[in-house]
Amino acid sequence: MTLTLPDAGLRVTTLARHNTMLMLREPGAVISRLVQPLVLITLMRPLYVAALARDGVQAGTSQVVTGMLVMFSLLALSVVGTGILTERSWRTWDRLRATPARAGELLAAKALPAFALLILLQAEVIAFGAGVFGLHIPDPALLVVAMTAWAFALLGIGTALGATLRSQSELNVAYDIGGLLFSALGGALIPAAELPGWARAIAPVSPGYWAMEALRSALRGQAGPTVRDAAVLVAVAAAAGTVAAWRMSRGLPRSRLL
Amino acid sequence: MNIDGRGTPTGTREAPTGTREAPTGTREAPGRTRGAPAGPELPVLAAEGLVKIYAGRRALDGFTLSVAAGEIVGLVGPNGAGKTTFAEVVAGLVRPEAGRVRVGGLDTVARPRAARALMGMCPQETALYPSATVAEHLRLFGALAGLRRAALRRAMDDITEQMDLNGVAGQPAGLLSGGQRKRTQAATALIAERPLLLLDEPTVGADPLTRAKLLAVVADRAKAGAAVVYATHYLPELAELRATVAVAQAGRIVARGTLAELSLERLHRLLTRSPVEDDEENRDDAHAA
Repeated sequence: MTLTLPDAGLRVTTLARHNTMLMLREPGAVISRLVQPLVLITLMRPLYVAALARDGVQAGTSQVVTGMLVMFSLLALSVVGTGILTERSWRTWDRLRATPARAGELLAAKALPAFALLILLQAEVIAFGAGVFGLHIPDPALLVVAMTAWAFALLGIGTALGATLRSQSELNVAYDIGGLLFSALGGALIPAAELPGWARAIAPVSPGYWAMEALRSALRGQAGPTVRDAAVLVAVAAAAGTVAAWRMSRGLPRSRLL
Repeated sequence: MNIDGRGTPTGTREAPTGTREAPTGTREAPGRTRGAPAGPELPVLAAEGLVKIYAGRRALDGFTLSVAAGEIVGLVGPNGAGKTTFAEVVAGLVRPEAGRVRVGGLDTVARPRAARALMGMCPQETALYPSATVAEHLRLFGALAGLRRAALRRAMDDITEQMDLNGVAGQPAGLLSGGQRKRTQAATALIAERPLLLLDEPTVGADPLTRAKLLAVVADRAKAGAAVVYATHYLPELAELRATVAVAQAGRIVARGTLAELSLERLHRLLTRSPVEDDEENRDDAHAA
């Protein structure tokens, strides 16, 4: 019998299953990211509805749902980055690199469970908004485009940070402060139009800005703007993913945890 | 384990060439496997003139070593001599500044994946997933080595038995004792029979049971035709394995031979002297080796 090199698809499947198992064995961060937005949407919706009363109830509901979605999906980057950092602190990454698996396969297998989590988080928030607070979704397909593009962008950013930073404390700073900053600049906490002038000027630097724009456009049923904003997010994903793949193919720096 | 002309392993768990069930692929002679890629007279591992520089320091400085099928080479040397860097270069984890490594005739830089498919590596430091069980580790690394279904299950059963892990197969690695972790790590490197085994100080801190189990499996694999690089500080282990000894000093091999040929006095002198003060002598020894 001849033993051929294992098929790349089988290797990715094997590794993705393994990574999913690792994520589910330490579910605290995942549960936290899934529950927190629902609580905040429920408590803060009246405030947003009142603040945007001139635009109607839907405007307030849309703002709080998309805002919490963007903010907590940015915070969920910690799950992606921690998944990579732990491979470094456990020194298991080099063990995987010593197998016939390509760097791209290792990366894809890391990304798949994280991507599923990011889609799940967004779908849960949207479903909660629609089911509980009557969020109007004129074209679900547009929303899927926006959510998918945002998930790719998050995945790229999270992987690049996880591959570049050296310790959990560095990751915490990047994800917590960076997540809040990008959320706020993107208009997730306060509508972008209400931000100070200087913040409005630099808001497009934040990927959260383009996520908010894409989601808002999708909830208004505007195909053109949705696709444009989603394209920006995909470009962000491609750039960050390239950095991550380059860094990981050269071997990850040893963690400062060691 | 056989390898075809492209470096693809052709001996499977179903048809191994060693001490397990071997219906078709039996060895022709000790130390040689049928259909070995580079011919029985050529080494499975051939490393020539490796140079690796870290922050201006030459971790490898003309490191040259070859290992034939069925041969166990005990790689000894003081800390910092280049043993681990050598293993990392062979496994493709770091790229050398100069020199070349061939595994089964395959250049590890030009064809890294095909070359890695021919080797099993056990790194010096224990690297396991704390929340994954022993069985899950074996399944993962067995599958990545290309084992599937029945062959994977059989390989898992075999290595679990050989490394005395039956009682802890369902336990997470984070709950294992030090010896059990060592055995689990070695089992993940040994689960698939490979033409080349790189074992980097696999018994450091290990209890006698772990050491005995590991040495038995290594000897078994060498009898089956695997080339083994066994880095260690424990000379009695090399005597037990009947290994030839290669002494690394300051990033290169300075002596090679059997334990009897090298003599304990000379080995002691080689392993304890300063690489700086004896640099000239090292070079002379390297030429002689």
